Amino acid sequence: MKLLKYTIHRLLQAIPVLIGISVITFLLANLGPGDPVSLMLQGQEHSEELIRTIERRYGLDRPLHERYVTYMAGLLRGDLGQSIHYQRPVAALMMERVGPTLLLVLSAYAFALVTAIPLGIVAANRRNEPSDHASRIAALVGVSTPSFWIGIVLILVFAVQLGWLPSSGLYYPWRPPSAYPGIDGHLELYYESARHLLLPMIALGTLQMATIMRVERTQMIESLQGEYVKLARAYGVPERKILRKHAFQVAQLPIITIVGLNLSTALGGAVLVETVFNINGMGRLFINAISTNDYQLVMGITMLLGFLFVLGVIITDISYAYVDPRVTYGERE
Amino acid sequence: MAVSESQYESGREPASEDEESVEARVGWRYTVARIKRDTTARWGLYIVTVVLFVAVYAVVDSNLSRLTFGVASDYTFAQLLPIFDHPTHIPPPGEGTQHMPPYFPLAEQSWNPLPAGGTIEHPLGTDHTGRDYFTRIVYGTQVSVFVGLVSTFIGLTGGTIIGAVAGYYGGRVDDILMRLVETVYAIPPLILIIVFTVFVGGANIWYAVLGVGIAFIPVFARIIRSRVLSIREMDYIEAARAAGVKDRNIIMRHVVPNSFAPVLVYATLQIGVTILIVAGLSFLGYGAQPPTPDWGQMLNISHGYMHSNVWLSIWPGIAIMITIMGFNLFGDGLQDALDPRIED
Amino acid sequence: MSSEPLLRVENLTTQFFTETGTVRAVDGISFEIREGEIVGLVGESGAGKSVASMSLLRLVENPGEIVGGEITYKGETIVGFEEGPDGERRERDDMLSNEEIRTRIRGNEIAVIFQDPMESLNPVFTVGGQLREFIELNRGLSEGEAKTVAIDMLREVGIPDPEQRYEEYPHQFSGGMRQRVLIAMALACEPSLIIADEPTTALDVTVEGQIIDLVDELQAKYGTSFLWVTHDLGVVAEICDRVNVMYLGEIVEQAPVDELFYDTKHPYTDALLNSIPRPDRTVDELEAIEGVMPEAIDPPSGCRFHPRCPDARAVCKRVHPDAKRVADADGEPHRAACVKHDVFDVGYDESPPLEGAAGTDRAAAGDVDEPESIAPNPASDESGGEGHE
Repeated sequence: MKLLKYTIHRLLQAIPVLIGISVITFLLANLGPGDPVSLMLQGQEHSEELIRTIERRYGLDRPLHERYVTYMAGLLRGDLGQSIHYQRPVAALMMERVGPTLLLVLSAYAFALVTAIPLGIVAANRRNEPSDHASRIAALVGVSTPSFWIGIVLILVFAVQLGWLPSSGLYYPWRPPSAYPGIDGHLELYYESARHLLLPMIALGTLQMATIMRVERTQMIESLQGEYVKLARAYGVPERKILRKHAFQVAQLPIITIVGLNLSTALGGAVLVETVFNINGMGRLFINAISTNDYQLVMGITMLLGFLFVLGVIITDISYAYVDPRVTYGERE
Repeated sequence: MAVSESQYESGREPASEDEESVEARVGWRYTVARIKRDTTARWGLYIVTVVLFVAVYAVVDSNLSRLTFGVASDYTFAQLLPIFDHPTHIPPPGEGTQHMPPYFPLAEQSWNPLPAGGTIEHPLGTDHTGRDYFTRIVYGTQVSVFVGLVSTFIGLTGGTIIGAVAGYYGGRVDDILMRLVETVYAIPPLILIIVFTVFVGGANIWYAVLGVGIAFIPVFARIIRSRVLSIREMDYIEAARAAGVKDRNIIMRHVVPNSFAPVLVYATLQIGVTILIVAGLSFLGYGAQPPTPDWGQMLNISHGYMHSNVWLSIWPGIAIMITIMGFNLFGDGLQDALDPRIED
Repeated sequence: MSSEPLLRVENLTTQFFTETGTVRAVDGISFEIREGEIVGLVGESGAGKSVASMSLLRLVENPGEIVGGEITYKGETIVGFEEGPDGERRERDDMLSNEEIRTRIRGNEIAVIFQDPMESLNPVFTVGGQLREFIELNRGLSEGEAKTVAIDMLREVGIPDPEQRYEEYPHQFSGGMRQRVLIAMALACEPSLIIADEPTTALDVTVEGQIIDLVDELQAKYGTSFLWVTHDLGVVAEICDRVNVMYLGEIVEQAPVDELFYDTKHPYTDALLNSIPRPDRTVDELEAIEGVMPEAIDPPSGCRFHPRCPDARAVCKRVHPDAKRVADADGEPHRAACVKHDVFDVGYDESPPLEGAAGTDRAAAGDVDEPESIAPNPASDESGGEGHE
């Protein structure tokens, strides 16, 4: 019950931020020198009258604040306007593209957590031994390397040189297998999706992995120095159990926060990784929208990504409150 | 958006050093001593020094910039080095601009295999227009370092002002500023920077620098604010206020200097993040524009020549990696030196 | 009294191997604890009390290591060394293995109560869960049985509503209540010896009093022996049977508690006593001990206390005294490590006083005492004034 109240409280807190995001994107998209109308008419003969008509059609002739109110009213109904470039509703376009991006980001997180947490614990436990140094260097390289370049190198090695894995595209496991020619049954579809997902997942996940590993290591070191660990040792608790239960549980709390906050890096990274691997997700849609000055679409995407980030932070905050008994609901921050 | 403060406690911010300024000065000497002893920090310092030297060298050396911008394949790396006596292929200053290369867009494929390098003329080979790759990578240092330093400085300055004001005054001022900061923070930086750069400025490195700086204001504002909140309650601030010292002076003389150590660490680490972001930005075509050599942009172009010369896609990445690693190592070392909790 | 004590420590030496040198944290201490006794281990912070007490459980943290001496508990060897055929010191065969120490000694034979009740309990587990885990482990009980024992024990240490409190987290307990939980934890494992490492230091005075009364009462009821580590002689007077005073890794005085207070044999103990308020003496001012304790990495030559000692003479700089029996009280030895006693026979009485030794050191430490206390006053002690030359 308390948790539910806390959840509602946190959701309400997010509203001003979401409004803020809409204001910022709206201003950026509308104050810039890029003129969507002339862009649409590029290379065509056009009269003043045609421009007027188009402006009226997209509501570009009205003052800024009126347009914002209209936009927000639409937003509440789920209408994000019409993409100028694609000539389709923005919401529908995004619905198609959000799946691959979420698949990519979530799998990258899964990869990062599954690898980083054990490595971080091992490093903390064997502090200043060779395995610790090796994993610290790996983590340093991980936080210092651009995700898109990791993608390029992975393609060069595993696709171009070795030919083991595909270098582009993605198979969506949620589609029926019949949607893909040559794919026979769900099993094969899953296999193909996994094969296609592997390289982009590693490319996007490496930075997360390295970040989480570093935090995990410091947290475990700190936790292992805690008085409660000393007490557990003094009461004869086996070292393995101390590591996996007593020290581990406390060290995980900051990881939850990190995962939520890093979502913004991961969503940004998805733009790059999707470009490198030719994945038709939100990232590539965003790049297309930017390069065609499709301001409605840009606004929609920015809003959605901001919303996803805020949502991610709220989810991690709530799970933090759930895991850490010390959080007094609603009074946090 | 209530992102908990605990991230800074748990993450990278060092333990507080709220002592009086005398102790802070002793602390600085101690810090320097520890940096000298700390292997991590020392290596970081070496790399950063080399990178900075190369960046400055690229500005000063006119041969280098002509070679980088110049097109002809008969300009070589060896001409840079005075020990190799190469006569006269270099045109006198002023003429170099005539040789501006045509820009080859991403899609265009090379029609013949590119030279692989490994010679003294072209240690890393040449790019698709025959320009020496090593020289371009060296010149690329300048853009990355410049962008990293300037935009971090913008973020740091903006963040310090906003964070200090919000933390010091509290109340409504704090509320409004922090909501604003949270809003900017909520938009993924790369997205925000691209939207800002393209819609406000048109793809241009200056707007990119400004955009990156703005995107990282929230990070600094939050750290400064939380430091200010803890310092604000200290007795000597109370005393200064009671003695009638102006708010602005209290902030500038006491609050900001006392927050400096953790922010310095954070800024060093942030330079790495910034270079990472700018590389991505340039890779997408929204950073430095040709013919200015930039690592991200070089990777963009080499992407089209993946099959003719694999190494063109490797070298700029390694350059990015080493540069960022230098700043990260230095930042980590600095943090260890300032944070007595974690002894190595 | 004459039978083998519960725990015997002989010449225990624990060192820390750091970059800057070897820290001799515990430097050859000997003491014993008998059944049903509360033994005090007293000293300033940094004297090596905690390291000594943790050595009993072989829980010295890196880079520390027990390098010498012998610890015997109920006839079993916790620590023991012998000289190998190559002349190197090595661990004896009868020394318990790490696994044996963990399963047979820690918790179920020797339990501990730490100084900081705020930090000692794991913040993410319920108090009951932690109690139950340790009880299960050390008494081989089932989960249900362990829970019953835990709740009974919580009631025993005076925690109201134990069934409900069992389910709560540490942050929902006050400091005093948490210390009660830790006491319950120690007692519930039914050990024969409990090491209490400054258990009341972090508590405020009224709570401290309650905890001491509680321990006194429970100790009488269960007959458990205690090693009470503290810097507070007041607490020692209230609770301990016998006392060991530590200074810089060494035990400088060892006596039954009354004997120690009324017939003090070591100037350091004297100084400690003068620095606390005592109901049996009325003084105008409490005296702080001059100077600060030197580092154990580079202890002073001779008697380690001589730079701060008001009774120091030239010989003290030269001769390093071990604790020797200087008196008896009801058949109990009273040991002290100070050459001013006759048994040492190193010519203390003829030795010239150290000019300004204590004063010099104090000045170095930047103290700002009253100027008249700078000069050491060798004439004021009980060994008389013949030392003047």
